[in-house]
Amino acid sequence: MTFKEYVKDRAVFLLINCILFIIIGGIMILVRMNDQAVFLIFCIWFFPLISYILIEYFKQKTFYNELTGIMDNLDQKYLLPEVMTEPETMEGQVLYEVLRQANKDMHEHVKGYRDRENEYREYIETWIHEIKTPIASTRLIIENNQTGVTRNIQEEVKKIEEYIEQVLYYSRSNNVSKDYLIKEVSIVDLVRGVIKRNSRDFISKGISIDLEKVEGTVFSDAKWLEFILNQLIGNAIKYIRERDGKVIIHTVRNENNIVLTIEDNGIGISEKDIYRVFEKGFTGENGRKFGRSTGIGLYLCKKLADQLGLGLTITSKMGEGTKVSIIFPLGSENFIQ
Amino acid sequence: MSKIVIIEDTETIREELKTFLITYGFDAIAPVNFENIIQETLNEAPDLILLDINLPIFDGYYICREIRKQSDVPIIVVTSRDNEMDELMSMNLGADDFITKPYNTQILLARIETILRRVQGSSMRDTVVYNDLKLNLSNGSVTYKGEKAELTKNEIKILSCLYKNKGKIVSREDLMDFMWNADVFVDDNNLSVNVTRLRKKLEALGMEKNIETRRGLGYILP
Repeated sequence: MTFKEYVKDRAVFLLINCILFIIIGGIMILVRMNDQAVFLIFCIWFFPLISYILIEYFKQKTFYNELTGIMDNLDQKYLLPEVMTEPETMEGQVLYEVLRQANKDMHEHVKGYRDRENEYREYIETWIHEIKTPIASTRLIIENNQTGVTRNIQEEVKKIEEYIEQVLYYSRSNNVSKDYLIKEVSIVDLVRGVIKRNSRDFISKGISIDLEKVEGTVFSDAKWLEFILNQLIGNAIKYIRERDGKVIIHTVRNENNIVLTIEDNGIGISEKDIYRVFEKGFTGENGRKFGRSTGIGLYLCKKLADQLGLGLTITSKMGEGTKVSIIFPLGSENFIQ
Repeated sequence: MSKIVIIEDTETIREELKTFLITYGFDAIAPVNFENIIQETLNEAPDLILLDINLPIFDGYYICREIRKQSDVPIIVVTSRDNEMDELMSMNLGADDFITKPYNTQILLARIETILRRVQGSSMRDTVVYNDLKLNLSNGSVTYKGEKAELTKNEIKILSCLYKNKGKIVSREDLMDFMWNADVFVDDNNLSVNVTRLRKKLEALGMEKNIETRRGLGYILP
């Protein structure tokens, strides 16, 4: 708010005063009154008027400056009515009340959505919990009746399970803090567990695995890590098309971090796609060519890794293979921010 | 034969799990009535209990606690609720292990065997006998009519897998899967090499009839 703007706002008021003075001054001159008397009247009239305008201007200027200052520094702008000083003027108070009410209403509105989201999330989690029972039964039935047919069904059931797991982690991914437990996790055990889960795929595609150089322990949440790793290893298996497939997993310990790398000799990702693989819903050339890609897996991995405070990087060469690394920072920063 | 009590309210899982465990040589009992489940279980004097958490009448935690008051029988909690709190809770109440549904049946078996071995002492379940061949799982040696030979870890795994399925053809894929689940990530070539070596070792002991290859199908210990 500049002085010019302020005066412009009061232009009518000043104009009326001026016109009134000119009329009265004119009359006074017409009735031949002393010029000094006219000037005196002018002073008595305009001195308090101008002082009043000036004082008001400075008062308002400090108030609005403070307000915009608070606004600029606020992280969550909608909290403004809670932190601002209550204005003294009548107009100010009316606006202040209106602002508060609008804000309150907005809060209720948002809360409605939040409740709805939580409800939905809870429903999804219960649903997942329930669907696991029939899946477990199916698995046992298959196990007890092993034929070529049931073996194929088993493969499909495994896919169903993976998709269900993805849903579970997707619904949890916005609210990690509720569902994690930081423990010491042995990387070897973690990697082995995930490979065992996928053993059938490795074996049937004839992919060999090398995990000689995996070692070390990190502090993190085992379940979330397992999910991330399972997605990454699943991808490695999925995109190995040639014979002599090979997945090499190794860790490197640096001064500040441990890097776990999963390397495959699959079809690779083209240069123009590689920067976008972590985007939600991005399937790229490989997704179009080979299908069965939802564009959710890597997006979720990245999101979960971020929340766990882990780095996730990917490099690839078309036709030669892909390398994905999970970076575990060492020390105190390896906890959820 | 180890006796396992399955406490599970979903009928399909209960029956299938029972069939599955019986196939693998356990004496499996699955009570259907949950009103007096604790006493009923204890009366069976089982070697191990598989316990679900979500049950009618009493939940699994309660049953776990009550059984612990009276018995030290190993308990494996099997549940579809996979969060860390449930796991912690189960462990605090005295469960020996925790597996989430849907589980890999081989892993379930492995866990059951590990716990039974720990509880019953190593001697009981670690030696298996096939014809005149004695296989000692804990020190990795085989004895045939007084002759002794040392086996590598891979060879032990192959032999024990074929032994468990004796009289049945085990496909190469199943054999590999078994080994992978025991942390031995062999590839196809390695497997052939290992089987050949194992066969030579057995022959050197004087055991003429040992592992047979069924072309295109797999291996069999007749």
